[in-house]
Amino acid sequence: MRRFSIIVVVAFLLSLFCSGTLLAQDTLKLSIPLPLTGTQAKFGEMEKRSYEIAAEEINAKGGIKGKKVVLDFEDSQGKPEISRSIAEKLIDVKKQPVIFGDYSSSCSKAIAAVADERKVPYLVVTGAADDITQQNYKYVFRMNPPNALYAIGLISFLKEVVKPKTIVILYESSDFGTSGAKDMAMHAEKMGMKVLVYEKYEKGAVDFKPILSKVKAAKPDVIYMVSYVMDAALLMRQIKELRIDSKLFAGGAAGFALPEFVVNAKDASEYVVTATLWSPQVKYKGAKEYADKYKKLFKDYPSYHGAEAYSALYIIKDVLERAKSLNPEDIRVAMKATKMETAFGP
Amino acid sequence: MSVQIEVFLQTLIAGLLLGGLYALIGLGMTIIMGVMKIINLAHGELMMVAMYIAYWVFVLFHIDPYLSVFISMPLLFFLGVGLQKFLINPVLKVESILPENQVILTVGIGMVLSNLATIFFTSDYRSTPVDYATKAWYLTDYWKAAPFELSLSFSWTVSFLFAVIITVLLWFFLTKTDMGKSIRATAQDLDAALLMGVNVKKMRVITFGIGASLVGAAGSLFIPIYYLYPALGGQFTLIAFVITILGGLGSTVGAIIGGLILGVFEAMTATYLGMGWAPVGRFLIFVAALIFLPGGVASLLRRKRFGK
Repeated sequence: MRRFSIIVVVAFLLSLFCSGTLLAQDTLKLSIPLPLTGTQAKFGEMEKRSYEIAAEEINAKGGIKGKKVVLDFEDSQGKPEISRSIAEKLIDVKKQPVIFGDYSSSCSKAIAAVADERKVPYLVVTGAADDITQQNYKYVFRMNPPNALYAIGLISFLKEVVKPKTIVILYESSDFGTSGAKDMAMHAEKMGMKVLVYEKYEKGAVDFKPILSKVKAAKPDVIYMVSYVMDAALLMRQIKELRIDSKLFAGGAAGFALPEFVVNAKDASEYVVTATLWSPQVKYKGAKEYADKYKKLFKDYPSYHGAEAYSALYIIKDVLERAKSLNPEDIRVAMKATKMETAFGP
Repeated sequence: MSVQIEVFLQTLIAGLLLGGLYALIGLGMTIIMGVMKIINLAHGELMMVAMYIAYWVFVLFHIDPYLSVFISMPLLFFLGVGLQKFLINPVLKVESILPENQVILTVGIGMVLSNLATIFFTSDYRSTPVDYATKAWYLTDYWKAAPFELSLSFSWTVSFLFAVIITVLLWFFLTKTDMGKSIRATAQDLDAALLMGVNVKKMRVITFGIGASLVGAAGSLFIPIYYLYPALGGQFTLIAFVITILGGLGSTVGAIIGGLILGVFEAMTATYLGMGWAPVGRFLIFVAALIFLPGGVASLLRRKRFGK
């Protein structure tokens, strides 16, 4: 009797498996690792919605190679070790031929290592640290510009308008913050600016006043900060409290570019410039439509993270359609040849 | 030179203000620790719940976060009482291989709370945009000839004062009232208290409620100066844990001193070593306290008293 029940269970599982593969004939299931809980969940949610908008649009137009796209989200909690195991699962168990997504640089880095080892192409969507794509990985591609570009954009503004002599750089102790700050310091020194304070902080800190009073004593012309949204708001509030009067406060993307920043920092958000990659006003094809759609659905404008996610799915669609087959090697070749204009830009 | 003094004093002020708030978080945990002999690892999550209460009260009824202390404290008291009565007490009765399975239960409670918050309130960052967020007092405004400039943030100072008042009230409650004395008796010796006719079970329930309402007050005081998201609890559980160890398990005075030490130490490391070192400093203190001062600050106080 017992053996019989085991056989039944196995048969049942087999039939499930078969029907699963049968279904896969007309749908294309893509799993995306994203931080849906944890401290970065805000960004994960925005990207998830954006992927869903893109998937809906693609399905309305007939899907990818006639297959309907079904998205599935895996929660990476913003932790690299979980991202890593998700990537392993997607490659080994689900046999997904291409991986894309996740939010932070650290997580993207973890996935990149797995993907390259298993020879499956990986498209980095929002991870901005420079070194993700600088490790001679053959199977890792990125769609967003690396961190260095944030710094370059701001530097040219500084050079022409403010002409500062001294700068203070504060950054959060993550991959994203560290690499952004390093780039900025390099460019600033090239320009002849003196870096007075170069300091990192722990994300989620409550009190920045100790570090800021040190900054105040240094009297810099410019304060450059690489932070996520709430840290950015706290920093600006406390800068105002301490009456630090620099000529310019500059933010490197991420936190300073989100719409919430202005709400949370209140009047402290004046005199802040920020480098960002995208805003709903850009002129790329489809950008405005996407922003309007997002606004209509969720009553909120997306930041560049959402736009990147939205565009990522279109890139995947384009790549998969051009690839000769759905095996990883062909996809890699196709991805390498990618050149397209999306809502996010060329 | 005066610049150096200014940086030092400003750091000290920041450290003390932060330390006062830390002490309030630590107090709740230490009281629960004293009576229950368990570490409440859902402490930070309880604070998160209180912060959401303060946030919604502010958004829906436009009640100032500081006034919401009087709303979040009783609510958290009942939440704490409920948790103790219906979740922790039944587990206490069960014989098990692990002696500390109530601790594991609190971890579970914490997880449930933070995930419920994610489901109900989404994972958005929230803060209460109060008008006085950037208001501060400046030394040079009152004393024109001051050699250096010091600033005292309005919201931080008010939070600190509230923390002091609540602490003093707690001290009165514990030393002067009948119920407070019963709680302390239960903490000192459970069996003796039981023999003296103290309703130990009731005291446990009330103690958990008080601990929760203390951290609830801390949540209301934190929201004007900080921000809020569902996963915020862990960070503060950790801080409370360090303070409880540093202060000596179960000692209220120790928790206050421990909180202040931690606040000042964190501020000093941030200024003189770099802010990235703050968590390292926190654990350095933690380990040092365990090795060199296993009884915490409380054991120092006791030693002094016996010496006299």
